[in-house]
Amino acid sequence: MGGIALIDETKEAELILRRLQPLFTAQWHCQYRLDVVNNQYGHVFNFFLDIQRKNHRERSIPLHSLRTTDLAVLERVLNQVRQGTALTLHFVDFGRVRWPLSQRWIR
Amino acid sequence: MDYSHEPHGMFFMIDNKSFYASVESVERGLNPLKSVIVVMSEADNTGSGLVLAASPMAKKLFGISNVSRQYEVPRDPRILVVPPRMNLYIQKNLAINKIFREYVADADLFPYSIDESILDMTKSWRLFGRTPEEVARKIQLRIRHELGLYTTVGIGENPVQAKLALDLQAKHDRELIGRLTYETVPQYIWPITQLTKVWSIGHRTAAHLQRLGIHSMGELAHVNPYELQQTMGLMGVQLFALAWGIDRSHFTQVRPPKEKSWSNSQVLPRDYRVQSEIELVLREIGLQTTARMRHHQQQTSCISLYVGFAWDGQADDGRSGLHHSRRIDPTDNAQTIIRELVTLFREIWDGQPVRNLGVGLSRLSPSGRLQLDLFQDPQRQIKDDKFDRVIDELRDRFGKTAVIPASSLLKGGTMLRRAALVGGHNGGNSFD
Repeated sequence: MGGIALIDETKEAELILRRLQPLFTAQWHCQYRLDVVNNQYGHVFNFFLDIQRKNHRERSIPLHSLRTTDLAVLERVLNQVRQGTALTLHFVDFGRVRWPLSQRWIR
Repeated sequence: MDYSHEPHGMFFMIDNKSFYASVESVERGLNPLKSVIVVMSEADNTGSGLVLAASPMAKKLFGISNVSRQYEVPRDPRILVVPPRMNLYIQKNLAINKIFREYVADADLFPYSIDESILDMTKSWRLFGRTPEEVARKIQLRIRHELGLYTTVGIGENPVQAKLALDLQAKHDRELIGRLTYETVPQYIWPITQLTKVWSIGHRTAAHLQRLGIHSMGELAHVNPYELQQTMGLMGVQLFALAWGIDRSHFTQVRPPKEKSWSNSQVLPRDYRVQSEIELVLREIGLQTTARMRHHQQQTSCISLYVGFAWDGQADDGRSGLHHSRRIDPTDNAQTIIRELVTLFREIWDGQPVRNLGVGLSRLSPSGRLQLDLFQDPQRQIKDDKFDRVIDELRDRFGKTAVIPASSLLKGGTMLRRAALVGGHNGGNSFD
């Protein structure tokens, strides 16, 4: 269960943005995307930067794992991440669930 | 053949299907059997990149094998390339072995590699099912449910049968389970003609057997074992036993190797031609190996040095490298060992471009007391000894890079970049 270990949401968001920064080089003909994976096996949320360039192999680079299963924590971390980057977010394996704070669908 | 005197146990050899690629798939919410994923190391010394693992689909669709080179992998957008995270795989391996421990006693579990374990289920399998296959299925499902990973199980009456069942049957079985017994060895093993597919038979052994007129496992089983021993030595008897699925090893009586030694080696990121650069890396490796030895309170009285040449370096005299050993006075002092290594290097090296360096320390004895040299200043010797120990402590407490020789910052040094690697590859993000 999440919430046992204290998570400093600001620090987590900063770490993700700091690792993202040197990887996101904004090349032409290149799609960048932030993957957020609900990993039921590890009880963590995983963050990856996905890079798709025309006629190249797709690349996926691990950024961070958030050690919680608490969606509210993830929502707050993501709100801070969004302030630092405008990359598209892609949610994997969340099912049809609403965010606990904003009550919007996760997608 | 009378098998009644052979050991009849119940051994499971379990391995993970494309382990690294599967772990990376699960982390991304992908099915390990359906994803097209390639784990590629881009550490300095892998050249343009080395494939550490490819998912089953990547192997099937694109023919990518492990240890393919980066340029051999097609530039296809359907292929997902990911960097390795060695620390994560070690964690997952520990989690898997923890599950195994619920099925066997600790003493009956033998981890074989990062993705393979041998379980001696002789005493415990009946607790978990009616047939060995049922038990294997149970373990497979546990691991699939808890970690998302697929495992392959080979079952045999002894370890070698389990290994053969794993390699030759389970990997092609729909349920990923294979089973061999003394009785079924002739049926499944003897028809094999591609001898290198069989565990423990490499290209050279296979070629040797071909020369002797042995072209299948069945033919191997029907040669005269005494004649085979005459031409191949002890190896011949072992191969003969292998063909009959016989294995008399007892894991609990594993003998420790007679002579332990410490060694480190590395492939350099490029060809090194400048003496000072090669010696710099040699010093770094010497330091690292000595530190490992000192951790075990040991000292060495024999150093060995391996220098592997670059491709174009071996043409001159046909040799691909040099290997030399030298006896020295027992010591665990890094500076002394490094001085000896550098001297040895200068004696044997003839200007060839170098791509590979290795250092070994053997003839070990317990250290702990300092043998003073009559011909040197005793205060100096005690100081040197203390100095090494302080450095060790600093590294233990604050990490490998807490103190480094300033020379490692020079061109050619590899220590700093390698410190973050695990087994020569990226360990993954440190604060996950």
